[in-house]
Amino acid sequence: MNAVLALLLTASPELSVSHRRVDTPDHVALALYRYQRVGVTTDQPPVLLIPELGFSRAAYDFEGRGLARWLVARGLTVYVAELRGQGKAGPGVSLEALGGDLRVILDALKVKTIDLVVHGWAGSLVIASNATDPRIRRVIALNTPLLAEPPSVLAESFLEDGGRFSSLAGSPQGARTFDLLFSMWSKFPRGTDRGFLSTGTRDLSRPVAAQLLAWMRQGDLPLASGSVVSRMTNSTKPTLLLLGLADGFASPELCAVWRERSNGAVKLRSFSRLETKEDFSHLSMLLGTYAPEIVFPLVHDFLARATP
Amino acid sequence: MKRVLLLLLLGGCANLRVVPLPKEAERHRPKTADGWELSLVRYRAVGPATGRPVLLCHGISANERNMDLDDEHSMARWFASQGREAWTMSVRATGDSDRPDPSKGRTLPIRFDHYWQYDLPTAIEHVRKVSGADAIDYAGHSMGGMIAYAYLSQGGQGLHAVATMGSPTRLDWGTGLEQLIRTLGPAVVSDDIILPSQFGAQLSAPLQTLVDDGPFQRFFYNPESTKPETWQRLVVYGTADTAGGAAKQLLTLVETSRFTSADGKVDFRADMARIRTPVIVVAGKLDRVAPSSAVKDGYRALGGPKRWLLITRANGALGEYGHMDLVIGERAPDEVFRPVLDFFNQHEPPRTH
Repeated sequence: MNAVLALLLTASPELSVSHRRVDTPDHVALALYRYQRVGVTTDQPPVLLIPELGFSRAAYDFEGRGLARWLVARGLTVYVAELRGQGKAGPGVSLEALGGDLRVILDALKVKTIDLVVHGWAGSLVIASNATDPRIRRVIALNTPLLAEPPSVLAESFLEDGGRFSSLAGSPQGARTFDLLFSMWSKFPRGTDRGFLSTGTRDLSRPVAAQLLAWMRQGDLPLASGSVVSRMTNSTKPTLLLLGLADGFASPELCAVWRERSNGAVKLRSFSRLETKEDFSHLSMLLGTYAPEIVFPLVHDFLARATP
Repeated sequence: MKRVLLLLLLGGCANLRVVPLPKEAERHRPKTADGWELSLVRYRAVGPATGRPVLLCHGISANERNMDLDDEHSMARWFASQGREAWTMSVRATGDSDRPDPSKGRTLPIRFDHYWQYDLPTAIEHVRKVSGADAIDYAGHSMGGMIAYAYLSQGGQGLHAVATMGSPTRLDWGTGLEQLIRTLGPAVVSDDIILPSQFGAQLSAPLQTLVDDGPFQRFFYNPESTKPETWQRLVVYGTADTAGGAAKQLLTLVETSRFTSADGKVDFRADMARIRTPVIVVAGKLDRVAPSSAVKDGYRALGGPKRWLLITRANGALGEYGHMDLVIGERAPDEVFRPVLDFFNQHEPPRTH
């Protein structure tokens, strides 16, 4: 069934992907992409997908595969936003400002309600900064940490070096670092993980890498109002938190604790090869061979059901 | 075809012998306050003692040989080689410890509570008495660490510093397996039985090296860190039958997410905040029995001082670790035992000469 839908989608001239630029009040250009099948209407709110820090739209749509098109094939209208520092958006030098970009995107969309899919550390920022926005109906959080903790030796080294994905692409050592942090013990369609590293990532700016490292070392990130931990904890949005055991960049032990502190708003689903075909890493949760079979249906089901 | 199968089976049987303990192993049998003799094995420190004795305790469905499998895979002998007198123990009804015998007053059920209320205090007191140490260090794998959490959380004395390895304090992590456990667990497990897990494991032993990436590998160990032959030896003589009462009590970690006494009145996790004994909490990145989230939950509950150690290639290990790799892994001496010993040493007062 999935294969048939994918074929229809690939062959369908009705899929439209449009791009627009959205400017923030401080004059940073954000990139907003809309995926829609012409002539298809749905009662469900649109879904907005936000990539991880240093990732681009390609995390959700890489060479015609990914969650964006998968959800569109099921009748949803999908947006992917690249916030400052991501993909084709303008430069980002502040993590807190990135979290605030979501508000600008929602204003530009002019929607009453929307569902959110977020990934990793960017997800934490976006949720913390917009925890009470009434336009957000439900949240899917993919390996999204509540607590920051001192990173692994390798993650620390990567961030101390400025979070330069471009430096990883050219050497076996760099490829190993990318593998251990983002894609270990994962199966990908041929060439996807390396291809994504080359074309789907963007270097963090040095200030952002330093802020992320400080956030990890200090355990929390202060915001203008509250902090990431306090604001995520207080979020009442129905949330499905999906965790991959093999995530080396946002380890599951940083994320799972959100469920306990959420007063019931956060439901948890963890993956390991004990029961599924894959442990899932940071990247394979979105672009891995088994993501469409195991992860995506859970996303769709949570967004589609009458009550979360 | 039959010949091929026979050859494969014979090949699989090559490691099926029990490697006996070396001659320097001293056997001890202290008796608990409720009448069970426990099997303890002592290794004296090689050379001058460099610190206090270390007591090592296995996990569920296991015995003392988990910590002392053979010459090359022995946390006990490694600690002894580093100048630490080392002891292994088997909790009641495992290894060479007493089995249930109603005629001698040793009755079922055996619960997790018996381990921390009777077995661990007995072992600690015996090691202190024999060695003359005022307090000892302790390393527990999986349930062995949970026993220490329960014991210390209720004011248990005599432990100077502790290491827990792959020890969860909750197991409700939203996996599909949990629903199966919730459904089947109560049907399979009850207070008045001993689950024949040792027999089952031994029955599977000849096949252990023949199946690559099978359920045992996925569940228990990572061939990146433990050779299948090593795992096979553990299956042959490192496993034990499982007390239904203990299994039932630990099922609550899945069913209710609570880590409590059998009657539910004592909340170990809440009381762990009172623990002031230094604890190093070790987790394996690819531990699918006690995932890092489940182990970290215990770390967070501890009062401190405490240290978190995640064994993963991203932290310098040469391979990822599953549940059993933490104690029988080929590189465990360097990647697990060494940091544990360093932690123990850090919490030693300076030695005066």
